[in-house]
Amino acid sequence: MLPRIAKFVSGVALLLLPLLISAPVQAQTASTLSGTVTGPSGTAVSDAKVSVKNLATGQSTEAKTDSAGLYNLPNLLPGEYEVSISAEGVGSKTARVMLTAGVAQKLDVALAAGTEPSLGDLGFTPDQLKGNAQDQARLDKRSHMLKIHQRLGLITLAPLVATLITSNQAAGGKSTASGRQLHAALGGVTTGLYLTTASFAVFAPKISGTPTRGPIRVHKALAWVHGAGMILTPILGTLAYNQRNRGEKVHGIASAHGAVAATTGIAYGLAVLSVSIKF
Amino acid sequence: MKRKSLAAFLLLMPLGLGAADVQWVLQQSMLTYHVSHPLHQFDGVSHAARGKGVCHAGQCDFLVAVPVKSFDSGDSNRDLHMIQVARGAQFPMVTVRFRLPEDAASQSTIHVDLDIEFAGQTAHFKQVPFQKVTQGSDAKISGTIPAKMTDFKIDPPSLLAIPTKDEMPVRVEMTWRTM
Repeated sequence: MLPRIAKFVSGVALLLLPLLISAPVQAQTASTLSGTVTGPSGTAVSDAKVSVKNLATGQSTEAKTDSAGLYNLPNLLPGEYEVSISAEGVGSKTARVMLTAGVAQKLDVALAAGTEPSLGDLGFTPDQLKGNAQDQARLDKRSHMLKIHQRLGLITLAPLVATLITSNQAAGGKSTASGRQLHAALGGVTTGLYLTTASFAVFAPKISGTPTRGPIRVHKALAWVHGAGMILTPILGTLAYNQRNRGEKVHGIASAHGAVAATTGIAYGLAVLSVSIKF
Repeated sequence: MKRKSLAAFLLLMPLGLGAADVQWVLQQSMLTYHVSHPLHQFDGVSHAARGKGVCHAGQCDFLVAVPVKSFDSGDSNRDLHMIQVARGAQFPMVTVRFRLPEDAASQSTIHVDLDIEFAGQTAHFKQVPFQKVTQGSDAKISGTIPAKMTDFKIDPPSLLAIPTKDEMPVRVEMTWRTM
């Protein structure tokens, strides 16, 4: 029993060892920025906002000055920072500071009224100035899905063209059973890839408040044509395939298979061109 | 005595006016970024920039800001893609800060050091030349900022799996007015 407990304890100790070692290391590498903010008359400014931004990572940290005008920003990574100081009704200032690992840096700032304009002076609403990580994540997801949509769309062109080329062996006087099978198989691959491609556009997150403008309108309008065509073509193709295999001449609604497929192919090609060429 | 006081006042008045803080306000602007892609080229235009300049002790500090989503390339899909690559939802403003000596207002070509904050990154552009034309109390400034996407750690957007060029020069046309 005891050896088991000893093993367990030594295992836990091994797991915790990196944490125990890394904590002091982090404390050594972090820097602190502190100082005093004073107004035009030299008096301490309380409640001034001090914001530092790491120019390498873009990460920002904020603090406010106390009643003595003092601020303190601990645990900053070494590197170059942009420091923005602003106090309502007093003024604002930006400065640059280089923080060295383990060194506490002091930066005293004297605000002079009206010396540097700030974003607040320009009349933008707080909503305009405020970033939203969730909206960015939605945009990232949308772009990612549309990139896949584009790539799959281009890949789909290959079996689509091959299906159209093999239609000669599937229809007319030169039709053979193997030709029809090859044409049907390629058509199946095209439909599968097409539906997968379309799903990435259909299910990409929508961004509200952005009316559709430009060539993408043509692209979307053409999607109604080739979308309907991609559903109809395999249905009509299956009917035509069965009629031919029974030794019948293609007749009825199935005889529209070729025309519908050609229209679908042309609409699809135009949809690709509509976003590739500037009209 | 009154005459002497008046003469002294008139002599000193210009000095006093010179020492007073002058403010510049951006009246009109057109910012145009240009992006090249092997298949085509496009421009995104914004008229939504706002700016202010404050002169104090011989130096003028300027700030210009423009919302990222205000740029219009004529294609909503492309604009959304540009906003995405520029992390425009997270960092919605482009800000430009620069400092000029107050006497730069008298020059026809001014060279400006710009600090541009865009996509959560700050890039510095040294000695960017701008042409200045004065019309009454307005100063019309024009020039091109030689920006690159990698200056702001932006991955060039791609169309049909082909990325755009890294260069993204921004044409600036602004009208400033003293207040």
